[in-house]
Amino acid sequence: MNDLLTRDMLVKWAPLIVLIVLVLMFALIEPRFFSVRNFARIGISSAPALMVAIGVTFIIIMGSIDLSMEGTVSVCAVAFAFCFLALGGTLWSAAWLALPLALVVGAVIGLINGLVHVKLKIPSFMASLAMGFVGTGFALLLTGGDRVRIEDEAFRSLLTVRWFNFPIMCYVALAFLLIAWFIQTRTTLGRNFYAVGGGEELAHASGLNVNRVRVLGFMLAGVFYAVGALLAVGRIGIAETATGSNFMFVSITSVVVGGTALWGGIGGVFNTLIGVLIVNVIGNGMVVVGLPGYVQDGVLGLLVIIAVVLSTDRKSVDFVK
Amino acid sequence: MTLERLKPHLPWITLLALVLVVGIGDSNFLKPQNLIAMAADIVPLFIMALGMTFAIYIGGIDLSAQSVANMTTVIATVALPLFGPFTALLCIVAGLALGGVSGYVTTRLLVPSFISTLAIGGIAYSIGQYLSGQRALYMDAAMRDGYFGWMVGSSFGIPHELFIGAVLVIAAYFVQSRTVFGRSLKAVGAGEPAAVASGINVARIKIMAFAISGALAAIAGLLFSVKLSGGSPTIANGFLLPAIVAVLVGGTPLTGGVGGVINTLIGTLIVAVIRSSMLYFEVDATRQQMVFGLVLIIAIAMTIDRSKLRVVK
Repeated sequence: MNDLLTRDMLVKWAPLIVLIVLVLMFALIEPRFFSVRNFARIGISSAPALMVAIGVTFIIIMGSIDLSMEGTVSVCAVAFAFCFLALGGTLWSAAWLALPLALVVGAVIGLINGLVHVKLKIPSFMASLAMGFVGTGFALLLTGGDRVRIEDEAFRSLLTVRWFNFPIMCYVALAFLLIAWFIQTRTTLGRNFYAVGGGEELAHASGLNVNRVRVLGFMLAGVFYAVGALLAVGRIGIAETATGSNFMFVSITSVVVGGTALWGGIGGVFNTLIGVLIVNVIGNGMVVVGLPGYVQDGVLGLLVIIAVVLSTDRKSVDFVK
Repeated sequence: MTLERLKPHLPWITLLALVLVVGIGDSNFLKPQNLIAMAADIVPLFIMALGMTFAIYIGGIDLSAQSVANMTTVIATVALPLFGPFTALLCIVAGLALGGVSGYVTTRLLVPSFISTLAIGGIAYSIGQYLSGQRALYMDAAMRDGYFGWMVGSSFGIPHELFIGAVLVIAAYFVQSRTVFGRSLKAVGAGEPAAVASGINVARIKIMAFAISGALAAIAGLLFSVKLSGGSPTIANGFLLPAIVAVLVGGTPLTGGVGGVINTLIGTLIVAVIRSSMLYFEVDATRQQMVFGLVLIIAIAMTIDRSKLRVVK
């Protein structure tokens, strides 16, 4: 019995239990919550957030943090929209090139992020926060504050075409989740993330080029932010400076609530899936049961603190800044 | 003269150089009325940056400052008809409390400050949204003038905001350099393990630093809402970046321990000059955020004390 109740077990299973309890609770309060229609709605709001959260998961596993997602998502969304329209405006023309281009833009921003962090030796939270501001500013510069509409039916089928009641974007998100899982568990890079997060000095001493792993991590995160940007544009059909807003708070919350420790080395992309679902079930459930949507930020704030406290092994932490 | 010896003097040299460059480029810039108007405009930001200085001085950061200021504009507007002049007290207490909670979560619950303040910021944002009913609110003009008109008037051609800023910076300077608490702040920022070893109650000092940061963010919000005669849960958005930039270009590094409130005064003036120079040289307003983001990176890279970071995470 004692084995079942250790802190480790609690930390490992708590996110899933919390998710199930939340779903049951909302379903009891409001039966409409527990319907395929509503689950599809949760799926739609989760898909872009999941991509962004997976990106930052890799960074957090390394023990760093990336706060640039709002700017990166905006820049990728706007760059994609401009290229898409310039190259024909429909997926059945050369405009499909805008899709890989958006991923490249994401990777480049991630590369800059990583280089600023590693080469200038600036803590990642500040380097990426500053880069995020630069990104948002850059997106604003590109659009001049306007909204860019993407009305191509083929691209919007991400949202409009449904298989088994769920739109295509949910399946795209699942596919990228599997890719992320593959990178995390089956590649050297994935294992190196854990090595860096588990103990940087040890990883360095065993011959790992830690700086290279870090930069690659930020690039990989950038690519996932770009996928998130594409799904976000597919969801509302508009690319603008505000496309990226609120992703920072939501994605960090998701990762941490899912059970990936801020100290690095623990957790993974499936934790993040649970975390994103928790955050979106709370957001959706509150609206369905009739609570105002803005309570969400406050609840998420509390959840983050609780999650970090639970996942911190107090014995191993010297002091906290 | 080596770079290391030059470093402490860089902020004011930068400020002087910027003022000269802009002054030569635009002759109107150096007119006293213009300089005074520019300084008065920046006071709410300066107050927020002043609070942020305390958080950064101990090696932390306060990402909730903007949300706390947002929340305060709403509290001030809602509370004014109910509490009259005591509204100010209420605002400051609210900021103090939220900052204190950030400090508690950081020190006792071992949550890094950039996450704890982000989370507390989310809570402050929710409170603002709740109290305002998600609308922009307006103050009753007569009540505003009756109780807080003194904040935004002007005497002898000098706007009262400048007096408020001056009083606060003198108080903060006194706290920083003439009190035991101020010395302890420096000790904590210079090296936390050593501060612990020498018997300082580090947790208490840090909680107080975050509380001061929250309180000053609240005062910034109060002043802002009086200036604009209203409040909204998003009215102070866009303050966070320049506030952090002001602290860092002033020469207080992210690693804490050196710098302080006078540095932030200089840093805020640099931000003000950069801002108005962009207007004079007709740089599009949309580029400001990009410029400040880049300035931030440069400022951090130049000031940060890398010997304090065993590994840069």
